[in-house]
Parts: sequence; C-alpha cells; structure tokens
Amino acid sequence: MAIKTIAEALRDAIREEMRRDPRVFCIGEDIGIPGGFGGAFTVTLGLSDEFGHERILDTPISELGLAGVAVGAAIGGLRPIADVQYGDFLFCCMDQLADQAAKMTYMSGGTVKVPMVMRAPVGSTRRGAQHAQSLEAFFTHVPGLKVVAPATAYDAKGLLKSAVRDDNPVLMFEHKVLYGSKGPRAVEGAISAAGEVPDEEYLVPIGKGIIRREGRDVTVVGKLLTMYRALGAAERLAKEGIDCEVIDPRTLVPLDKELILESVRKTGRLVVVEEDNLTGGWAGDIAAIVAEEAFYYLDAPIKRVSAPDTPAPFAPVMEQFYVPSEERVIEAVKYVMGVGSRE
Amino acid sequence: MATQVLVPPLGTTVDTVTLVKWHKADGEPVAQGEPLFAIETDKATMDVEAPASGVLRQVTAGPGDAVKALSPIAVIAAPGEQLAGPAPGVTAGGAVAEPAATAAALTAAGRAGGDGPRSRIFISPRARRLADAHAVPLVALAASGPEGAIAERDVRAYLEARPAPPVTPVARRMAEQAGIDWRQLAGSGPGGRVGQEDVSRAVEALRPAPAVVSAVNEAVQTIPLRGVRAIVAGRMAESTAATARVTLTAEADASALVALRQQLTQDGVTVSYNDMFLYILGRALRDHPNVNASLEGDAIQVWRRIHIGVAVDTERGLLVPVVRDADTKGLLQLAKETQALVERARAGQSSPAELSGGTFTLTNLGMYGIDAFTPVINLPECAILGVGRIKQRPVIVADKVVGRHMVWLSLSFDHRLVDGAPAARFLQRVVQLTERPHLLLA
Repeated sequence: MAIKTIAEALRDAIREEMRRDPRVFCIGEDIGIPGGFGGAFTVTLGLSDEFGHERILDTPISELGLAGVAVGAAIGGLRPIADVQYGDFLFCCMDQLADQAAKMTYMSGGTVKVPMVMRAPVGSTRRGAQHAQSLEAFFTHVPGLKVVAPATAYDAKGLLKSAVRDDNPVLMFEHKVLYGSKGPRAVEGAISAAGEVPDEEYLVPIGKGIIRREGRDVTVVGKLLTMYRALGAAERLAKEGIDCEVIDPRTLVPLDKELILESVRKTGRLVVVEEDNLTGGWAGDIAAIVAEEAFYYLDAPIKRVSAPDTPAPFAPVMEQFYVPSEERVIEAVKYVMGVGSRE
Repeated sequence: MATQVLVPPLGTTVDTVTLVKWHKADGEPVAQGEPLFAIETDKATMDVEAPASGVLRQVTAGPGDAVKALSPIAVIAAPGEQLAGPAPGVTAGGAVAEPAATAAALTAAGRAGGDGPRSRIFISPRARRLADAHAVPLVALAASGPEGAIAERDVRAYLEARPAPPVTPVARRMAEQAGIDWRQLAGSGPGGRVGQEDVSRAVEALRPAPAVVSAVNEAVQTIPLRGVRAIVAGRMAESTAATARVTLTAEADASALVALRQQLTQDGVTVSYNDMFLYILGRALRDHPNVNASLEGDAIQVWRRIHIGVAVDTERGLLVPVVRDADTKGLLQLAKETQALVERARAGQSSPAELSGGTFTLTNLGMYGIDAFTPVINLPECAILGVGRIKQRPVIVADKVVGRHMVWLSLSFDHRLVDGAPAARFLQRVVQLTERPHLLLA
C-alpha cells in the first residue's frame, strides 16, 4: 500500500492494463514525446519508455482525428485509452463520440462493440473559459456512453481499469485541481486527492456510488472537486450541529440512484453541488430524480449549488466567485434546514 | 342550512371504512331516508341513508376511498343554497363554517417569516405525511422550515408536546419490543387508547418498501389491500405476531359420529359434520371455561356464555359469523342458525353484530381433503379448533386391522392464556365426545 496522487494512480492503472492486455494502447497529444509533459497533467509520463511509441501514440493537434482513430480501433478489436488535454476540446470530437461511438452497438444490434476510454480533464483552473468547463452533463445526456468521475486516487485507478475492460465507450472525467500533478504541470490551488492505493490488483465497479460522510440532517451530493467542497462544508456545519451526509456518485452513468434516494429518505433534504453551469446541468437531473421518486420524503425544497450561467472567468478573484465554494454549500444547507434565507 | 353527510360510526373497533359507491351523484336531489351511499366495513357491506332532503353537494370521497368514521364526505343543501367552500371547511357540529373563520385559522398558522397573511398552508411533503399519519391538525402547527413552511420537526414537536395517549399494557410491550415509540401512535381504541392493532400497523409501516418488481416476477394482478382482505391481513398478521400459538393435534375415531349422522338423516334430521362439531364444542367448552376466554388489555376474561365463530369461505374472503350460546342450543337449531349465518355471509349481508363477539372459533377444511393444519387464532380469543376430513383408514382394534372412520382434530391455543396440559385435556374431551357421542346425553 502506498500513498499516490490521482495522476500516479491513473498511470499505474494504464501500465497494469497495458501489461495485462496487448490490445490496450494510449492515444493523445504530447503523451509520450521525449522531454514532453506526459499528457497535459503528467498521467502518461514515462510510459513510452516501457511500451514504445506504437502503444503510447502521439497525434497531431486534432481531437477529431484522434477520437476517430480511437473509435475505429475499438471497433476493430483494440482497447484504446484516448485523452484530450482539456475536456473543452471534446466538442471537437462530438460526432465521433455522440454519433458514432455511443450508437454503434445499438445500431448493429449488439454485434459491434466500442470498448474505448476517453479521458478528459475538467474544472476551472485560471486557464480561461475554453480550458475550464465541466462537461459531464453533455455526455450523461447521450445514451450509449458510460460516464465516470473519480475524485480519489483509489477510485481513479479502480475505475480506469474497469473502464478499459468495459465493452462500451466510457467517458472519464478527471479534475485538474485533484490530479496532484508535479513539476511544471502543478496546478495552482490544488487539493490533495492523494490516498492509499493497494499494490494488489483491484477494480472499482462502474455504477456504484459511495457515502463519503454519514449524517442524518441533509444529503449533499458532490462529485470531483465539489465532493471536497461538500466535505469541507460538512465539517464546518458539524460544529454548528448540522449533520450532513456526503455522497460521491463516482459513476454518473449508470447512476447509483438508490444510494441517493435511500439517503434522502433518511435525511429528507437534498443539496447537489457541481461546478457546471446551473441550467441544464447534472445537478438538475439529480434533483428531478429525487423529486419524482422520493417526493413524500422531502422536508424542504431541493437546492442546487452550481456555477452561474456564464463562461468561466479568467480573473482569479472572479473564478473564485464562479466555482461553488464551501460557503455557498453551507448557505444552501442552512436554507434547506430552515435556518437561512433563500440565496 | 346545509346538513353534513357523515360516515357513520360502526362499533368501537372500526375507525376507517371503504366507500363502495354513491347511489346519488353530486348535484342530484335526495330525499331523507333514501339509500345515499354504500360502505364496506368489518366484513359487511351496508347502505347509509340520507340524513336530510335536498341536493347532494360537495362530495369529497369517491368509490374505493378509505374514509374515517364521523368524517364529513358531502353536504345536503337546499336547492340553490350558497355554500361556503368545500367540505374541509365543514365543522363537526353539522353546520357549514363561516368562510371568514376558516381563513382566519389558516392565517394564524401562517409563516414565521412575517410575509403577511397567506391564503394556504405550506408544508413539506414529509411533514404532511407524518401529520396525516397522526391526524395532526395542520393549523395547530408552528412553521419553522424554509420560507415559513411546516417541516417535519414542527410535527414532531407537536407530537412530543401532546400528552401521551392511554395505552394497553400489551400494546406498550409490543411497541417496546419493536423499538417503536407508542406515544407517537394514533390510538384507535376508546378515548384514543393505543392498542395492539395500532402497534401492529406501525410495525407494518416500518417494513421497507418492496423492491421494484423485476420482469421475471412481474405481478399478474395488483389487489389493493382494503375491505375484507385488509381486515383479514391485519388480523392474521397481528395474531401471528402477538400470540404464543401452540397447535395440538389428535386423531379421533369418528365412526360412531358417522353412524349417528346416518341414523339422524334416515330419521329426517339433516345436519352436517360441522354442526355436530359445533354441538360437541359447545358442550366441551362448558367443562373447560379456561379455553373459552380472551385476553383483553392486561387481564384474561373467562366468558360465561359460549359464542362460537364459524370460519366461512366467501367470494370476498374469510368471514367468521358467530353462533350465540352454542352450548344451549339443540343440534337442529344449531344447523339452521349456522346455515342462515353462512348464507348471509356469502351474500355480503352479515351485520357487524353477527361478525363479532365470538369466544371460540371452529374452522373446518375436511371438505377439501385436508387432514390436519395449524389454524391461526382469531384474536382476542384464546383458541380455535381445526377439523380435518373424515376418512376410512385401517386401524388396529384388539390386535386386528379394521377399517374405521378417522378424523384429525387440530387445536391452536394461545399459550399466554392457558398452559399445554389444560389445553390438551380440553382436546381430549373433544376427542372423547367425537368417539363416544352418546356421552353428550349424559
């Protein structure tokens, strides 16, 4: 057992899967160039030394192209792990992912499988509006894709290994602030998501959420960075006698709905925290599920804590305002507890 | 002046009945004494007459709805009369409440936030569910939730502040064993007393909701648990949970009984085996009063009179009409009375009185080829006798195998009320009278 960062845990997962299965390869921009970054956040750093440039495959700066190669390779029987340097560039590959990868199995009556993984860093980190978005809701909306979002090193490794072995296309969202990248790729304002990662083989199943903190008053659902915001808020609220239960869904599709519903049936209150823009976001979907399936257990309106409906600002002080803070989570929890005002 | 249409009270144990149908539609004229609506209760269906003449208005309950005794479900108004608001504004006194008073009451319950008067009560779904379960009047609640809505804690605070209801010792013990706070239960007994049934209901409500039905075990039919089915379900579960049930079985040689019945038939007296067992039970119970008993509250009531319930299978479910003073009646009279009771039960015409007040129950599955079984005690009675089929079997009499008419008798009794030996002696007496019916003359 060793303490690893998310970047290290992901690198271990890729290495183990590539050793285990010769069909697994990585494709991306600047992922194996000698003297390069090893991917924008160092995840593939050093892997080309072991596996060579045929299996750690660098492409020109063309997300449409690399996504197409990955989809085609997966249909042809390989198991690609593709990545884009910033999740925002997924818009370039939208046809490959949403129209081709997601629908191929359905349209072929199950005869064609697309066992690919697409990794994408998300989150606002002082890089401007085109390198900052949280894109989860765009992909949870497309049937045929699985979507995972690990917030800890343990989950990052276990979920990536499960994703590589899954016969469906899997979108994996990773948060820039949580990678624990080092050297020139270190991220300002990083939060340590490092944790113990077992040396022996393990998988984290796709579709299972986890309760990060048990509580009886309010259910707070957060993922990636906002899970840490929720935990931080929960600790501060505990001092005021408000007991939050924090749930990390880990997988967004298929969602571990029952875990959330069970928690709300207990607490009667729900706050969903996410970094995406409010309108049409993933938080709204969680709120709708709970309103539909646990209505009679609700003791207060459901509250969403999201980024406002604006592009992510570049100015650090404005970015701080934009990304949901612990204070905003605390405000929302107090509102649903009936001790605060509507925001 | 409009007259309220109330759900009639039907005995002390019935607090909710099912509305079966309206004989008149909303807006239709009715005459006092006309059948107005039908309800199903305590295993019987009955019509309720219109309490006044006029026009039926403001009907608030429909067929299939569970309605509480003494709750208003419509009003009968004079033609063209102006009515104030729908039935919730109706007071128990019989007259329609002043709309202003109702609005004032609602305003008084308004928000703590001080946003001025509000036209309706805001309450969270969770709080409403709890309030409904305990029949808490919403106007009496504080509102501490978000935006001045009533939250669960407001209902809990009200319930805690409410003086504890009276409770029967058995119910209290059951509640403590199940980890339920009996103070929070709505008592259905006299004076709001919390009884075993209330605790059983609460235990039932605590069970987790059934999992989503999967495609492989999809239900072919969903039958709502109401009416007779709901009563049977509740009583059976309560009996199984609350009694210390022991079943004794004994085989009796019924050859003499069979011969006796044949002779009676030849002589023009037609009776069933069930009637004969009813006769035997009446006489046997007279000598064993401790089995002719009920557990009421914290005391065992040993009854002087012997009223035997007879389990009857009907289209609507299991019904148990009661034959009064079974020990004092002749065989032919028992046969006639039983037949009449069974016919009314099957036609759904039993009166509540016919279906209550038993001190012992007889259940007979012999006609279905059942040999022996473990009957469930009909609470609050102490015991129930199950009769199996009478069948010719080889038995050894004086070292010789001979054919005899044998029958299995199964006595389920509540060990809380009576011990094994006295119960066995009672069953022994029933066996003796079955085998040697001439002793009934002695």
